[in-house]
Amino acid sequence: MKLAAIKPVSRVLARELGITALLLFGVSMVVFAILYLAPGDPLNVLLEGQSPRSELALGMREALGVSQTWYGQYAAWFSKMLQGNFGNSIRTGLPVLPELARVGVYTLTLTLGSLALTLLIAVPIAVHAAAHGETAGNTAATIAAYVLSAVPVFWFGYIMVYVFIHWFGMFPLISGTAARQEHAWLYFLVPIFVLGIASGTLSEMIRHLREELSRVLAEDYIRTARAKGAPVWRHAFKEGFLIPVTEIMSAKIPFLLGGAVIVEQVFNWPGMGRMAWQAAQDRDFPVIMGIALVAAAFVRLGNLLQRVVFTAVNPRASRE
Amino acid sequence: MDAPLLAIENLRTYFYSRAKRAFIRSVDGVSLDVARGETLGIVGESGSGKSVTALSAAGLVTAGPGVISGRIHLHSNGAQRDLLDGLEKYARVTEQDGRVMAVEKDERGWRKHSEALMAGVRGKEIAMIFQNPRSALNPYSTIGKQLVETIRLHTSLKGESEARERAVHWLERVRIDSPRLRFDNFPYGMSGGMCQRAMIAMALSAEPSLLIADEPTTGLDATIQSRIVDLLAQLKTETGITTLLISHDISVIQRLSDRIAVMYGGTVVETGRAAEVLAPQAQARHPYTAALLASIPSAETIRRKSYLQAIEGEVLDTIEVPRGCRFYGRCNRVTEAIRESCAGLEPPLEEVAPGHKVRCWLYPAAGKA
Repeated sequence: MKLAAIKPVSRVLARELGITALLLFGVSMVVFAILYLAPGDPLNVLLEGQSPRSELALGMREALGVSQTWYGQYAAWFSKMLQGNFGNSIRTGLPVLPELARVGVYTLTLTLGSLALTLLIAVPIAVHAAAHGETAGNTAATIAAYVLSAVPVFWFGYIMVYVFIHWFGMFPLISGTAARQEHAWLYFLVPIFVLGIASGTLSEMIRHLREELSRVLAEDYIRTARAKGAPVWRHAFKEGFLIPVTEIMSAKIPFLLGGAVIVEQVFNWPGMGRMAWQAAQDRDFPVIMGIALVAAAFVRLGNLLQRVVFTAVNPRASRE
Repeated sequence: MDAPLLAIENLRTYFYSRAKRAFIRSVDGVSLDVARGETLGIVGESGSGKSVTALSAAGLVTAGPGVISGRIHLHSNGAQRDLLDGLEKYARVTEQDGRVMAVEKDERGWRKHSEALMAGVRGKEIAMIFQNPRSALNPYSTIGKQLVETIRLHTSLKGESEARERAVHWLERVRIDSPRLRFDNFPYGMSGGMCQRAMIAMALSAEPSLLIADEPTTGLDATIQSRIVDLLAQLKTETGITTLLISHDISVIQRLSDRIAVMYGGTVVETGRAAEVLAPQAQARHPYTAALLASIPSAETIRRKSYLQAIEGEVLDTIEVPRGCRFYGRCNRVTEAIRESCAGLEPPLEEVAPGHKVRCWLYPAAGKA
């Protein structure tokens, strides 16, 4: 990166980080409000069916230091959160943050792996279609990608479970236990494959990249590049490849996280999605809040990356 | 006399229109010579095929032409090559009554072969400048970088710092103020005129044998246009570069060209030395050239506040090419004596004076053929 590009990039970075902080604050409020208004009490898990109004329940509330008012509860959570303490899980009693970090790695592996797979499939198809126009080969590949993207991810997941695990007996059903075995990464491939193929990202990635790239290839400056005998890709790369790829990646991260929740259920994957599912059933407030914040931060991070790439690459954006 | 630097022989560039299920004959049998050191101006309205002729010569016709045929000979550095050599292998043309009826084409093979023919020619031997310079320069790269890229690709200067020095030198030569500052500018921060100067610098920095200037003043402000024309004229005397200049603006052509070719409907209708073609009292002149000249505002017309003469009718649609003269439908000089020929038979391009050819039935030289 040129020195001149650092200043605008750092400015964008600062602005985006500020927005992220505000956004995370908003997310925590909204999630808290939904949890507070939703039926069910987190203490039910511990009380095992006893009335929440009973003496025992009140004593437990006091012992846990739960405030009576909603704003008291939120303020208590918020002030601790600022110190980096996300509380303890009500079900397991374990601190939320280390637990999140532990399972987050699995979810990150799943989402980033599937994103990489989607890119690996989408980029060659899109580039070929943009460079050579519609041929029989890339049209067939595009149609196949659209069909796969339209398939519900849970259904495709079960089909894959049936094929690989039931028919071929290739992988243990529980990926979580597989993590401790030799060649553990092999077992991760099926869920990554499922999320990468069927999350709906594939077709949009192909379409976006193909359209942007063919638009750029028809630009006047590409003709100039050809006229001066320079490689076309060198000139088309920034606007025709780098920008659209980061755009679509950052736009698709929320959908990948949503898909991850389902895929983790189907494959018993010990990630954040399954943790979220369990926590939602238990009304495990601290865990849900923690997951919501981490997921929101992850989405924002993708966005941030896209903005930074765009600003670093595009001289016009840096002048704003 | 030397062989001409660029000799285009019977060039045909047709595009297939799927919507109309017919061929658009953008360039239909054009022959042109550009001698070493001269500037040949091609003038004509939009759709006359002048730009497509230039793009064909540079191998830049990308929209999947139905056919390109003919010969484009380039003689430079003691070597001669045909820039369309062997391309006919990739297309099979079915003709009927001299008209192209169907084309079977191996598009990829054709394109690959064309790129192979053009390797080492485009940018190096033939450099181009385009219209709308602001969009014709890469907006994601600095002016300097784009110049350095050309210099390192095509000259013996391969080192970064040498190439930088040469780039700054070229920016100076095209009269860009404070070239060292401009070097790091992106095209968006520069005016159209400045961008065109940078593009001219980029084209010339490869030290090409031939410069093709495709509408170099289109898309610029009127005052800037005349400055760019001045610059091109100065560079021509300084470097003596052979130029193929294309413009719809006959006054630009007038100021820069040694010879002129007037194109209409995909063919050359008149060609000759600039002084003769544009002479106010020319002996023989194609009616289309006459009409073009009448459409330039002169001091006389401005003083008399008279209206400029417009050319009646529409530009020829090159799908339905008429049997006779292509200009027949708009011509105001058809006489009864030649009407039959005009309507039914395309006139040949005949010499009316040494080096001056006109494609019109009006002139007896054509009649004797």
